[in-house]
Amino acid sequence: MIEVRNLTKVYGQHKAIDHINFTVDDGEIVGFLGPNGAGKTTTMNIMTGFIAATSGEVSINGLDIVADAQKAKAQIGYMPDTPPVYGDMRVDEYLNFVADIKGVRRSLRKDMLAEIKRQVRIEDMSRRLIKNLSRGYRQRVGLAQAMVGYPKVIIMDEPTIGLDPKQIIEMRDVVKNLGNKHTVILSSHILQEVSAVCDRVMIINRGKIVASDTPERLSAKLSRGNNRMQVRVKGEKSKILKALEEYPVIRNVEAKSATEPGTIDLILSGEKDDMDIREFIFRCMCKNNLPILLMKSTELTLEEIFLQLTGDVRSGPAGYGQGAITGKTDTMIDDFFEEPKEEESENEASVSDASQEDESAGGEAHDTHI
Amino acid sequence: MIPIYKKEMRTYFTQMMGYLFLAFMILLIGLFFTIMNLMFRDANFQSVLSNTTMFFLFLVPILTMRLFSEEARHKTDQLLYTSPLSVTQIVLGKFLAAFTLFAIATAITVSFPLMLNIFADSLPVSRIVGAYIGWILVGVSCIAVGVFISVLTDNQIIAAVGTFAALFLMFLMEAFAMSMPTSNFASFIFVGLIILAVAGIWFNSTRNILSSVVLALLGIAVAIGLYLFNSSIFDGIIVRTLLWFSVYARYDSFAAGILSISDVVYYVSFIVLFIYLSINVIEKRRWR
Repeated sequence: MIEVRNLTKVYGQHKAIDHINFTVDDGEIVGFLGPNGAGKTTTMNIMTGFIAATSGEVSINGLDIVADAQKAKAQIGYMPDTPPVYGDMRVDEYLNFVADIKGVRRSLRKDMLAEIKRQVRIEDMSRRLIKNLSRGYRQRVGLAQAMVGYPKVIIMDEPTIGLDPKQIIEMRDVVKNLGNKHTVILSSHILQEVSAVCDRVMIINRGKIVASDTPERLSAKLSRGNNRMQVRVKGEKSKILKALEEYPVIRNVEAKSATEPGTIDLILSGEKDDMDIREFIFRCMCKNNLPILLMKSTELTLEEIFLQLTGDVRSGPAGYGQGAITGKTDTMIDDFFEEPKEEESENEASVSDASQEDESAGGEAHDTHI
Repeated sequence: MIPIYKKEMRTYFTQMMGYLFLAFMILLIGLFFTIMNLMFRDANFQSVLSNTTMFFLFLVPILTMRLFSEEARHKTDQLLYTSPLSVTQIVLGKFLAAFTLFAIATAITVSFPLMLNIFADSLPVSRIVGAYIGWILVGVSCIAVGVFISVLTDNQIIAAVGTFAALFLMFLMEAFAMSMPTSNFASFIFVGLIILAVAGIWFNSTRNILSSVVLALLGIAVAIGLYLFNSSIFDGIIVRTLLWFSVYARYDSFAAGILSISDVVYYVSFIVLFIYLSINVIEKRRWR
């Protein structure tokens, strides 16, 4: 069990992480999700004892990472974002060296290394110099290194970065298997990746945990189901807007000329949160003889999720961090996960420039995906 | 400690560094031996040793430049510092590896006085051994400085040049120290500056302005008090301080055939100080 209490790291004026609290149970696979610079790597570096926290504690199975550093570190395998490999060693030499510094007994070593190499699929590379390996294989050697000694906890910083799609899938399988024997913490900035392997996802932004839940519940909450649709309709804008007025259940969030000539792109949402508006949209457009060329639910990108969770204003550097995350965040998390309606109404209630910009930003960001 | 030691030894001989160091060192000493002992038909091997200590200036950087800077550059330090090894074990392992290479070179040079022994009835064994002890102590002191400077940077070139500069300064330290003012007032100012520097370091590590100012004022008050009551305490303090870093100056007594305990203790404490500093710099970088 890993306990992290009030962890804070300050670099000069900048708070890299800000009073982070969480626990990870034995055998759990937990994913840290966050954009670049969110504090994922800093948190991991502190948890593994590589750097010190400004304040706060980390305990690994009851052992403090500072006070009982040696014993606590013996329980952790760490794979940093750059694989810590020596280019002039052969894979076998390197793994033996790692086994040496981790104090793995000689009698166990041979079988253990063979098993690990099999798991991460680098058996064929045993005699190769690490500097001659491709990025993907180096990454795997980095993972193998973390597994040496079968530590109870394995911490991985962006394990799939720089891998090709096939390798990513393989890496996911390896990580999933690890979950049987080890407690695994990994970080990523890709939502799909985390949701594919993790039992629980923690979203970190600007040094704070803004959400923590199972990936299923997180995605369900975040994608809003069929309540918010992106629609492309052929016809004149005025005519379409007029047609929509006949159906007050559909709220027109945003309309703009689309990439296709003679069409309009709309972001529509339902009056109520749990409303399926697809049928209403169909009837509305059908009645007015306006062909629907495209209709899909607006899945929120990770960026938008952050904007939502942090209640941040997306207006460039000026709005950066303006009170959005301070204080408000905690309630936002609760609102978001326990009573989504409230969160919605909160957005609605504050018909400020901020929330509108938030919404439109979402639309824009999505537009680029079409 | 042993895994790190083994790894460093292997690295010395898989990269060129180990061979380069051994080749250069033996070549230089062999050259001096050939010229001074063989060509001039002089049996004094001690003078070869004392003449070759200056080559540590550029031989030691070869040995120490990559020890820590390369780990930092390739981020392999993350593996070491998150492993169950303590920083002390890591530093000692690397230091001992550098020392071992130096010892191998030294052991090979022992063949030179043995060659002389063929032609001599009685070689001054004790004087040669004494000179060797001093020679090794100077070399290891230089290695300790090199290890320390390698800890400070993640760039091998900077580590090498920095080590050379530091050793060069130590080489010239005796002449440098002698030209320093010896008056009591100058010494007093020097002590004051050191107190301010200590307070500055204190502030840098604690970020507590009040305690740093109190420390500085207290130190300066004590210094002023001492200066007013008994200014002779400050006699030549600059020279004495700087001479402490003059590693080479102490070698002269070994070369003269004197094995003084105080000099041995000096070298050992110098080596321990720099290893301790290396450990602390790493610990501190990680624990703040």
